[in-house]
Amino acid sequence: MTKHTYAGKAAIVGIGATEFSKSSGRSELQLALEACVAACEDAGIEPSQVNGLSTFTMETNPESEILRGLGIPELTHFSRIHFGGGAPCATVQYAAMAVASGVADYVLCYRAFNERSGRRFGAGVQGRPAGVTAEEAQFSWTSSYGLLTPASWVAMFATRMMYEYGVTSEDFGRVAVADRRHAANNPAAHFYEQPITLEDHQKSRWIVEPLHLLDCCQETDGGQAMLVTTVERARDLKQPAAIVEAAAQGMADDQHMMRSFNRDSIVGLPEMGTCARQIWETSGLAPNDIKTAVLYDHFTPFVLAQLEEFGFCKPGEAKDFIADGAIEMGGRLPVNTHGGQLGEAYLHGMNGVAEGVRQVRGTSVNQVDGAEHVLVTGGTGVPTSALMLGVAR
Amino acid sequence: MDVSEDLLSRARALVGSQGQPLVARHAVGTAAIADWCDAMGDDNPCYTDPEYAAKSVHGGIVAPAATLDIWVRPGLPAQSPSGRRGDDPQSKVIALLEAEGFVGVVAVNSELEIERYLRPGEVLQGVQVLEDVSEEKQTGLGTGHFLTTRTRYSTTDGEHVGDLLFRILKFKPGTGSAPKGEDSDTPKPPPSDPSMRPRPAINRDNQALWDGYRRHELRVPQCRSCKRVFFPSSPRCAECGSFDMGYLVASGKGALYSHVVVNYPQVPGFAYPIPVGLIELEEGPRMVADLVGVTREQLAIGMPLEVEWLDSHPALEPGATDSQGPITLPRFRPATPQRRPETRRAAEVSEGEQLPIWVLPVTPTRITAGALSTRDFQDVHHDRDLAHKKGSADIFFNINTSIGLMERYVTDWLGPEVLVRALRVKLGAPAYPYNPLTFTGSVTSIDTGSGRAVVEVTAKNKLGSHINGTVEVELPR
Ligand SMILES: [Zn+2]
Repeated sequence: MTKHTYAGKAAIVGIGATEFSKSSGRSELQLALEACVAACEDAGIEPSQVNGLSTFTMETNPESEILRGLGIPELTHFSRIHFGGGAPCATVQYAAMAVASGVADYVLCYRAFNERSGRRFGAGVQGRPAGVTAEEAQFSWTSSYGLLTPASWVAMFATRMMYEYGVTSEDFGRVAVADRRHAANNPAAHFYEQPITLEDHQKSRWIVEPLHLLDCCQETDGGQAMLVTTVERARDLKQPAAIVEAAAQGMADDQHMMRSFNRDSIVGLPEMGTCARQIWETSGLAPNDIKTAVLYDHFTPFVLAQLEEFGFCKPGEAKDFIADGAIEMGGRLPVNTHGGQLGEAYLHGMNGVAEGVRQVRGTSVNQVDGAEHVLVTGGTGVPTSALMLGVAR
Repeated sequence: MDVSEDLLSRARALVGSQGQPLVARHAVGTAAIADWCDAMGDDNPCYTDPEYAAKSVHGGIVAPAATLDIWVRPGLPAQSPSGRRGDDPQSKVIALLEAEGFVGVVAVNSELEIERYLRPGEVLQGVQVLEDVSEEKQTGLGTGHFLTTRTRYSTTDGEHVGDLLFRILKFKPGTGSAPKGEDSDTPKPPPSDPSMRPRPAINRDNQALWDGYRRHELRVPQCRSCKRVFFPSSPRCAECGSFDMGYLVASGKGALYSHVVVNYPQVPGFAYPIPVGLIELEEGPRMVADLVGVTREQLAIGMPLEVEWLDSHPALEPGATDSQGPITLPRFRPATPQRRPETRRAAEVSEGEQLPIWVLPVTPTRITAGALSTRDFQDVHHDRDLAHKKGSADIFFNINTSIGLMERYVTDWLGPEVLVRALRVKLGAPAYPYNPLTFTGSVTSIDTGSGRAVVEVTAKNKLGSHINGTVEVELPR
């Protein structure tokens, strides 16, 4: 058993977001700065006190512009995590490592984009000139055949899950129904007061068979930020701290970017298994200790696979686990109580980290009783990350 | 009496009339049979292997059943205006109809009844009877009349060998249902020319594979040191640590491991919705590629597949071998069903049994070879310029090729010594080049007492149903 030494020494002390919309009407940089300022205000510190930043390699807003915009005199830590939606929990992990080791005092984790009104990831990799990098070369093994989007890559795994495990499209639909039920209660959600039925899911048009439109996350304009500091400093701040009890990154076995098609088996998520092992070992917790989780939901099928990788059920049994509403409010493990990326907003999972913080604080619109430890995960099918947040003692 | 009633009564006066016997210019011959077999890809040894045929149910080489009506054809000279004879009843009715503007023609039905197989050396003759002229009908192609003829084939010795019921539609071009109006609410799909697909990024690590594709070689990375085969490429072998990378030319055979059908978003270069497969090659690695000739309903994990090639992109720069060079993509179709070497017995065949899917690439060569080997010299089956002139998108299969392929499909599945008793087809969408034809079939009846069975066959392409047919056979009991 290996425990991460920084675990339990850092906390998320502030969360801040812009509104989530389909057309923000302002620049991505402004969204980022607004979210960062809101996170600092939430914590009760001045933006100029921040001396560390952590974000995604896909982020278009460089740390230098955040420094200029926030009036930060100096930065002693700035780090980026690759692989798109796999990064959200890792930004917090890097921040936690930085503050626990004394490299920085206050680290902002941020992500902002006009993903709906600007460049849409769902439009795929079309129109980009072919380059020569290793990453571009690997894209080519699917793009010339029409698999250009995350939906098209995930669908390939989903078909195999259906074949090997007897999962049905309705099973995928139950994830969407749960997310939308939770979003219906969340005024910040795009789909506030718009729950769906399984029938709505089944009737929605095909995007990439076997995925319906309602298996796919939204596309969103917005920004989300989190402020991380040490647990000692956290005691003097405005909000109850959400302790970083464990954090992990994971990449595994013949990894590709959502296209790990040459693994012996393609029905699991070994990179998430790598995260799960570290999270359980470091936190000392077990699935039974967890009352609610935020599981990355860009597409519904991989929510099932995550339940299996974290041991909430056995491989192939997630469809049975979720059959009776277990992932909805009142169930064994309410998942994505903010509405997830299908219901609230698609912020590359950063809004899910914020929901984890709210559950720990006891302020979620769908508050789960006894949520002392909340599991949050990053993107699926890609090299990824996970977090265990907990109530301060 | 209006014009159309007058026309119909004059045409119908010919119903029941009989033409002069049309005598074949040449005997049934082994060279012509072999050409037919090559064109259809039919390697049933009863048609070409004297030793095998001698020991078979036929006792010697025979001509395939579908060739019944090709031998008396007048050949190329009949295509010139001076070569037309026109003394058969069908030609007389055609002349009447064409004078009134019914100049378009399309074959609709063909029903061959086989009394017995033909042998090399036999000289055939055919006697045609006009069986029916329909009243004027509105069809999709235009207003027209269906003409039905029956031709009785016999040897010149007078032995009856079979019959053909043939139906054509003579129509007035331009009087069909108007092409469906453009629905202004429906966004136009993007152009599907494959050269508009994203070009692959070719670099030092994957160059050898893309070079192989250009030569229609399915190369997969292989470590020269430990011989490990994997996919996709990497400059170092994770197994033995060697940087000495080579490749293996894969057989092109594999099985479907997973699949999707992409509907949205729609980008140039593809004709949506597109089925895409994850194919597990028999050498082990899996790769993503287009699936050709299968509908979403036919996709089944585990189905055997084989590679074919799409020369998708021309070179952007002369001589370039990187991503600016010409691009060829592998794609996969259902594996061609293997010919059964032993003939199945009636008791082994059950009603409802499905034939394996057969996806046939259609090329100009196949169309032309099919037409000429069935001794059909009509220009629309071999001359693209004239086909265009006559309003056709391209050259297309003649009906005898379609029937020959249908016969091959069924006899390959049942075995070399199954006896074909009837071949009946209804023709639909034309089979143009580069539109693969997908054959499916099932046994609709089987009588184990007589060994008689009926197999229903359809061949479809992107335009619709090309043929709906039945093959009546007699199996050994
Ligand atoms: Zn090796």
